[in-house]
Amino acid sequence: MREVSDTIACEGCDAVYQRAPLQPRDVARCPRCGSELERHAGNQRRRILPLTVASLIMFAIANLFPIVEIELQGLRSQTTLAGAVLALMAEGMSVVALLVLATTLLFPLLQLCILVWLLVPLARDRQAPGFAWLVRAMQSLRPWGMIEVFLLGVLVAIVKLSSMATVVAGPALYAFMALTVLLTSVLSFDPRGFWELVFQRQEGA
Amino acid sequence: MNMHGPQHPHDHPEDAPVPTVASLGLLACHHCGTVWAQAEEGDACGRCGTHLQRRKPDSLNRTWALLVAACLMYIPANLLPVMITRTLFGTQNDTILSGVIYFWVSGAYGLAAIVFVASFLVPLFKLTALMLLLITAQRRTDWRRPERARLYHIIEIIGRWSMLDVFVVSLLTGLVQIQGFAVITAGVGIAAFGAVVVLTMLASISFDPRLTWDDKPVAPAGDNEVEKKKTATA
Amino acid sequence: MSEPTPPPPPAEPNAPPAPKVVRRRDWLPSLIWLIPIVAALVGVTLVARILMQRGPEIVLTFKTAEGLEAGKTAVKYKDVQIGIVQSLRLARDRSHVRVTVQLTKEADGFTASDTRYWVVRPRLDTSGISGLGTLLSGAYIGADAGTSEDSASEFTGLEVPPIVTRDASGQQYLLRAADIGSLDVGSPVYFRRIKVGQVAAYELDGDGRGVTLRVFVNAPYDKFVGVNTRFWHASGLDASITASGVKLRTQSLATILLGGIAFQAPEDAMGPVAKENTAYTLAEDESLAMKPPDGPSQSMLMYFNESLRGLTPGAAVDFRGVVIGEVKSIGVEFDRSEREFRMPVLVQIYPDRLRRRAGETEPESRYTQEQRLQFLIGKGLRAQLRNGNLLTGQMYVALDFFPKAPPVKVDVSKNPVELPTIQGSLEDLQTQVQEIAAKVNKIPFEELGKDMRVSLATLNKTLTGAEQLAKTLNNDVSPEITAALKDVRKTVDSANRTLSDDSPLQQDMRQTLQELTRAAGSVRVLTDYLERHPESLLRGKPDDKKK
Repeated sequence: MREVSDTIACEGCDAVYQRAPLQPRDVARCPRCGSELERHAGNQRRRILPLTVASLIMFAIANLFPIVEIELQGLRSQTTLAGAVLALMAEGMSVVALLVLATTLLFPLLQLCILVWLLVPLARDRQAPGFAWLVRAMQSLRPWGMIEVFLLGVLVAIVKLSSMATVVAGPALYAFMALTVLLTSVLSFDPRGFWELVFQRQEGA
Repeated sequence: MNMHGPQHPHDHPEDAPVPTVASLGLLACHHCGTVWAQAEEGDACGRCGTHLQRRKPDSLNRTWALLVAACLMYIPANLLPVMITRTLFGTQNDTILSGVIYFWVSGAYGLAAIVFVASFLVPLFKLTALMLLLITAQRRTDWRRPERARLYHIIEIIGRWSMLDVFVVSLLTGLVQIQGFAVITAGVGIAAFGAVVVLTMLASISFDPRLTWDDKPVAPAGDNEVEKKKTATA
Repeated sequence: MSEPTPPPPPAEPNAPPAPKVVRRRDWLPSLIWLIPIVAALVGVTLVARILMQRGPEIVLTFKTAEGLEAGKTAVKYKDVQIGIVQSLRLARDRSHVRVTVQLTKEADGFTASDTRYWVVRPRLDTSGISGLGTLLSGAYIGADAGTSEDSASEFTGLEVPPIVTRDASGQQYLLRAADIGSLDVGSPVYFRRIKVGQVAAYELDGDGRGVTLRVFVNAPYDKFVGVNTRFWHASGLDASITASGVKLRTQSLATILLGGIAFQAPEDAMGPVAKENTAYTLAEDESLAMKPPDGPSQSMLMYFNESLRGLTPGAAVDFRGVVIGEVKSIGVEFDRSEREFRMPVLVQIYPDRLRRRAGETEPESRYTQEQRLQFLIGKGLRAQLRNGNLLTGQMYVALDFFPKAPPVKVDVSKNPVELPTIQGSLEDLQTQVQEIAAKVNKIPFEELGKDMRVSLATLNKTLTGAEQLAKTLNNDVSPEITAALKDVRKTVDSANRTLSDDSPLQQDMRQTLQELTRAAGSVRVLTDYLERHPESLLRGKPDDKKK
């Protein structure tokens, strides 16, 4: 097995290209099918850890506090994300409840935790244990974190409810909005960049 | 470097037969991106340890299976109620479409459009697009390949947004639990709908987009001799 | 913006082509660690705010957790939420439920050890229906702030809401009664038929001889309770059938159902305002409450040898219409010396009643009570049984002067003093009836009967004769009468014919009438003429000259 250096393969059409040196904010695209080959990591490496930490804090706020509170004829009701999941389970919709729980709580949390787990040692030039499969896990979890869809869903639900009751946004709603923004930045970090980091350090680059 | 196959550039660079990993007999790690020569399928990548593979395993079959399942679930997802609202005035069963109509009729046109697109058009679009991709990939036609590649990208990006309705229903169920006044419960339709979204996402993950560019089935890396003979005679 | 650089030409003929490079836009500032710091601050602020709003945590024990929900049920005071139920747990010995409540910061005064907590649910009790709002909004826990200095963290919840909360203004009084009657906690208290308070609590006295009630009179009516005020049972219908007739009194319709207490000062002279927790006696009814205190009583004994049926203990002893005492007990004695039965009746007399009614002041008397009594008896003071009510047969003892009564020797030093009696008026009545009976007896019914028989026989004969006459009439007279009637009918018919419209008689008559009319007309003309020309009588009518 021999490594073919300075080449890159297109994931969309299997074409082989030469790796061009990238400037910051450059994105290399396959001319044939248009899929992204690689992008310059840029300042991402410096930013990702603080952003991950911020995301985790926002995540905690978003799940511990109520998302919205409604008031109808003097009766109030409020719920957190976990509360909604529990309500679904109580009705017997356990599968849907688990799906919601996974896509909005479990997978994003796992991704964030893995990131922290991997990044902190990396800052000290060390590889955390389980590096390889953790990075793979993170890559496969990528499409399944759906917090921004959840946020849009919450907004749609608020609009639907505002016609029949008074709706007050809770702290978790704002936390979710901040979390969406942060996560978009954090999760745009290509896992391949991890390997770059590792091998650059290994090669002493 | 040992390269195999004709690599002469033509007059129009975009018409030039692009060197592909398969035609060159190489293997690219789908995880870390390193290109390996003289490697076999199943070998562990030297950098990251993932098992090297040419194409996603059994892509066509798996994608077809998941797609058919998703189509089957699409019918109850739209016919069965997704949300049951119980108020003092009575019980109201809502399907996805009736929810859209409710929004439209009460003047929230934007919301009606959002929900309609996300919960009705997008899954439908994904199902038809995947079917199209699968059929053309199976036939190995070169009809509009760049467009098909773009189609796949689009499916990948918009796939998750169909979950919108599931989240709306979940939040409403968890929130509106005022006994005696208004109680919202989730209907079976939402489970079917969630299944549709999950299945289509799995289907698009298991579909290998490189199949749209394959003129012929890709042989395993060990068959380089066969490749040489074929290209030599072409 | 994106500047696509053209793909560079391949470095070697066999080298793979280079990809297209596109520039991406940067959108994050470099002061990146500010973001997590801000996030952390926000989180900490939120948590701190919640912790600061937390007040003390207390545990309430109730018999049942019905209507309570962890995380939802609120604790309210004056309808303001001061806490929320955190959790519900069954006690170890399963005898009650432990409710953990988190109070808000402002409500930490509610940990005073005499604070009371109860569950507000829809209730139906003697004071009416309450708590209906909780049917919709769910039960809540009510609180009554305490004033104690000590604080506690565990409270035993009340099973029923307290009648009086500490913040209600008014005063509490104690009433002593022989029994509770139809009263209950919450029974109303009336003043001039207005509900001004209610019974807060009652309990049996320690020695079991009575009941003590605690009534609460709301402000501003508590200023109408003075030291002289009397309280009485105003329960239900105050119906009394006494020697003076049937009396029916009631405070209000509510008291018929719920029972109640009323109060008033006699002649509205209530004296100074009563202090809290003043004790009063609860009388059985208004008249008992209002009657002035009786003063010393004196027992007297009377012997009657007539039937005492209708006389009951408690019957009045009356002097010329003034009730001065009551019968205490009745008995039977066999007097061996005289070999006959005597009925001793023990009465209790309150001489003060008589004195007060008379309006006399109390000068120092030269005579003792016994001497006075001797004097009165000498004057003819006797006791007599009289019929109070013919309907019910109730009797009472009347004291009166009977100058014609035979003198009696009375030993006034004996205790109880024996008062001489005289036979009751009922006896007289009986004698009268007897006399009437005797008179009736004397009526000669036999002879009357004989005469009657004779008359009847005569009458019989007369009737027989009449009968015969009727027969004669029928047989003989009636056919002739029939014939006569037929003739009459004929006559009538011919008369009819004659007089009918087209009968010749009528026609003749009409003609005759016409003639007469003409004649009358001529006569009129003549008379007119004569009037105008009276000389025509002599001269005749002149020839018709030219007119």
